[in-house]
Amino acid sequence: MSEEKYIVKTVNLVKRFGDVVALKGVNFKVRVNEIVGLVGDNGAGKSTLVKILAGVYAPTEGEIIIKGQRFKRLTPKKAYELGIVLIHQERTLSENHTIWRNIFMGRELTGPLGFLRISEMRERAQKLLSEIGLKAISSDFPVKYLSGGYKQGVQISRALCFEADLIILDEPTIQLSLAEVQRVLEYVRELKKRGKSSIFISHNIYHVYPVADKFVILDRGKIVGEFLKKDLTPEDLSHIMISIARTGRVPPEYREINLIGS
Amino acid sequence: MGKRSASLKQLRTPYVTGIFAKYKMQIAILAIFLMLWLIFFTINPSGFSNPYTYTAMLSVAPFTIIPALSLTYVIILGEIDLSFPSVMALGALVLTLTWKTFGATPLGLLLALSVGLLAGLLNGILVTKFQIPSLIATIGTMFLWRGFVLVVTEGFGIPLGEYRGLPIYEMLVGRIGTIPVQIIWTIVIALALWVILNFHKFGAYVYYTGDNRVAAKMLGINTDKVIISVFMIHGAIAAFAGVLATLEMATFWPALGEIYLLKSIASVIVGGTPVTGGIGTIFGSFIGGLILELIETGILAVGVTGFWIRLVHGLVIIIALIAQVLIRRSELRRMRVVE
Repeated sequence: MSEEKYIVKTVNLVKRFGDVVALKGVNFKVRVNEIVGLVGDNGAGKSTLVKILAGVYAPTEGEIIIKGQRFKRLTPKKAYELGIVLIHQERTLSENHTIWRNIFMGRELTGPLGFLRISEMRERAQKLLSEIGLKAISSDFPVKYLSGGYKQGVQISRALCFEADLIILDEPTIQLSLAEVQRVLEYVRELKKRGKSSIFISHNIYHVYPVADKFVILDRGKIVGEFLKKDLTPEDLSHIMISIARTGRVPPEYREINLIGS
Repeated sequence: MGKRSASLKQLRTPYVTGIFAKYKMQIAILAIFLMLWLIFFTINPSGFSNPYTYTAMLSVAPFTIIPALSLTYVIILGEIDLSFPSVMALGALVLTLTWKTFGATPLGLLLALSVGLLAGLLNGILVTKFQIPSLIATIGTMFLWRGFVLVVTEGFGIPLGEYRGLPIYEMLVGRIGTIPVQIIWTIVIALALWVILNFHKFGAYVYYTGDNRVAAKMLGINTDKVIISVFMIHGAIAAFAGVLATLEMATFWPALGEIYLLKSIASVIVGGTPVTGGIGTIFGSFIGGLILELIETGILAVGVTGFWIRLVHGLVIIIALIAQVLIRRSELRRMRVVE
């Protein structure tokens, strides 16, 4: 099987924190232009897995294959250069500064002698904002006055601007109002339209379900289920999740459509 | 729907379009300055319409303002530098000794600036590579360089009057009509630092490093390099200010700079740059420094004892800080997006 189709693939990824084994041999794959909903209970290892992909943690064992290149470990910088962006609530914003400055943060457009091409960055930022449906906001607006959903929007605009290929959203809908959740889901659809790949982590199945192409269920450091959206309803997914929480297993009636172990 | 469109409208308009809204803080600082000037002018109209009052003020103001300008960068980073008064003395001593040995040439100035850069490099390395908080690290270097100056000079002053009138001397602290040349240097440095902070990539990195260091690092900004560079720039500029102060007084004093420590820091604070980092303006620090100097000149011109200077400084600092808090609060209330 060609590895070109996968933007990211992990091989037997193990991560130990002292005595605690957070990941127990995870083989996780994301295809090009695929939105993967990564679900699982607290402590299942979701965040650990994506932090390894973003270079925040080094795996204890295993390999990461990105666009066909093999790595034992990544650094945040390396991951970034490979086009992997982890969006984690508000952590990567310079809140006191304007939206356009945040979008171009670290990759400013500069002219001779390193002077900023301000009007060009402003215009491009404005265009990006309107492309993800935030037409009404001026790119001159300071980020600190934006609500959580808008802040996610700024980070997604940045990822688009940097031509990121895999955008990881770690609980992007947590603490958001209903309207804001809808907005974030719109952003994810826009990513899909543009041919990007995405990993969407959420506790809430009803947030992931509408946008994901595939669901990967982690339980205590192992992938126990992998389902395509066409095979499941949100109720099925919810049923599977509850069953896993209770018994640690995918209910027998779903085993046929489970891509794991079939 | 109504609520939402209201919040969007709010988003679109006031912050960006209104010059007044955008530069509120700077306008407030300028207003404090003008109000003080008006008060002093009312009390002593003859003194404050005499150009020599301003010559006197502007001949000494640069020694407070120049270090405050580069200190603004340090404070925007969320750091502090307490060693710059010692670096002022160190730079001035290097110039003095070079001139005494090789005559009054630009070499002395070049060496003074280089020593300033090196002193800044040391601060930067202590803060980044050894991760010593800048407050602590620069207490160390403050004593180190002051001690070095005292050991070399054995505590004695060195007169420099013999070089007065030389072109290099006049270029640094001469007079153009009644205008002291050092205030022109101050303006040149202020403009340069303002342009870099607002329109250059480096200035942007200074802001981001101060505002969210973790984010800046994650986005590939070499924050250590930014911090070291800022300390170096600040070191060189402090050394330059020390040279100007020494030449203005025509004597090198080993205690040079000590009075500027709190005055320069106060200039930055009065100017609206919070010690929490991430934001701040060069314009604010410039006017902040002028405010402190105006109070000194004003108190003396009004004819009360100099003991009042500290008291009024304290009052104005507190008033300025309260004004800043009120401005930031009103902005927060007005701009918060509810949705």
